[in-house]
Amino acid sequence: MTETNYCPGKALTACLVALTLSGCITSRVEDTREGITGIEEGESVVILAKSYHLGNETEGKYISCIEDALARGSNGLRVIPHKQFVDSLFPWFEPRTAPAETKGLPKLMERPGVAERIAEQNVRYIVWLDGDTDRVAGGGSLSCAAGPGGGGCFGFAWWQNDADYNAAVWDLKGLESAGSVTADVSGTSFLPALVIPIPLIARARAAACKGLADQLRDFILDEPEV
Amino acid sequence: MRAKSRSLFGVALAAVFVAGCGSNVTLDPVTIPAPLIEPMPLSIAIRIPAEFEHFVHEDEVLGREKWRIDLGRSNAALFSQLFEFMFDEVTVLGPDDDASVLSIDALIEPSIDAFEFSVPRQSKTEAYAVWIRYRLKIYDSAGDLYANWPLSAYGKSEEFGLTGDEPLKRAAILAMRDAAALTIMNLDKSTAISALKDRPPVSVASAESQAAAEEAETTSSKQRGQLPKRRDVTLPPPGPVAGPAVLAMDPVETDPTDTVREESTND
Repeated sequence: MTETNYCPGKALTACLVALTLSGCITSRVEDTREGITGIEEGESVVILAKSYHLGNETEGKYISCIEDALARGSNGLRVIPHKQFVDSLFPWFEPRTAPAETKGLPKLMERPGVAERIAEQNVRYIVWLDGDTDRVAGGGSLSCAAGPGGGGCFGFAWWQNDADYNAAVWDLKGLESAGSVTADVSGTSFLPALVIPIPLIARARAAACKGLADQLRDFILDEPEV
Repeated sequence: MRAKSRSLFGVALAAVFVAGCGSNVTLDPVTIPAPLIEPMPLSIAIRIPAEFEHFVHEDEVLGREKWRIDLGRSNAALFSQLFEFMFDEVTVLGPDDDASVLSIDALIEPSIDAFEFSVPRQSKTEAYAVWIRYRLKIYDSAGDLYANWPLSAYGKSEEFGLTGDEPLKRAAILAMRDAAALTIMNLDKSTAISALKDRPPVSVASAESQAAAEEAETTSSKQRGQLPKRRDVTLPPPGPVAGPAVLAMDPVETDPTDTVREESTND
């Protein structure tokens, strides 16, 4: 009876240990600055995905993650939800009509109501996300079996996910590009199984989200050089 | 007794499998945000054909799953709202309404040429996609076909945050929104509808009396020489292979009286 009670406890401990373990992640986050950035109180940022008409596959999950991460914390930015922004400027930020380059911004601002709507929301920066997370490799073998006396899994499997994202920052004050931030994260997950499978998951997309959001915040908050 | 129970169980199981091989999707009428545009100073009527008002698409995916997608009133709602935003005066007509009693600059009749969709299992992605090829026929105030414009709209939605058939509905709504954006950007460029503004308000054909018909014909023949050329557009090839066109923010201005080429129907 006591042993029965201990077993779940051990299993729980094993699970917790497994959860705290993770696969291998290599990450590189870089920025390229084209202009002086900075943000004043009340000014806001919008995160948009580049158009799927251009072949972009950025996941909605990733956009939400970046929005949340940028807004979080003591030095969090004021983030306008992308749906609200796109609806308020219909139809000029639809996948088909959104400007692909900053040189389209002056003409966009001349359209009736566009500059006013952007000013109402006090949007200073538009961040265009591009990229996605893909499974690029995998292998190994894992088999599970169950019988009257119990069951278990034996084997080893692994897979590698690459998360490559780029965030292009447009400054709506100067109607120019402020630069870009890129995150290139590679994560290899392992699943060894000796009766019980122990997943060692590398969360590449989550790491790319945190890395890119942190760098993006620093990039935008950077005070102008005197 | 046991055999009977078994057979009943078998029938129930088969019913579950049969039911599991089909999907029914019904769209609610869509709404679009008020667009940031200046309305054209035209008085138009929209005639909604019956098949446009109740468009249903049935298809088999990979030869197994049967899909029935009922767009319902969503298309009629979309174009009615859109034209309300785009023109100064809009009258919505049913399929059998007579436009001849109206004093309008143009009559627009939308229709659907083709509807296609893909599900993740087909595309090997996490996305649902919808293509809708609409056709807008524009008649002048004399009732003549003035422009015939096909437009291909595309919408894509992933499963994130959505359940059941919601991603497909979302993709269809995005395709409709895409059609609205395309119409706002290119309707006048592709059809020169604004040139109908300066024509005197003559009732649309199907005149009730011979005298009225003769009078309309006289007026029409006098003015026809001054009117822009009738525009007829060849339909692009169907389906995803045609692909969505991408519009630049600064499209090249073209002479509205030029014949629209097949490749440029969405540009």
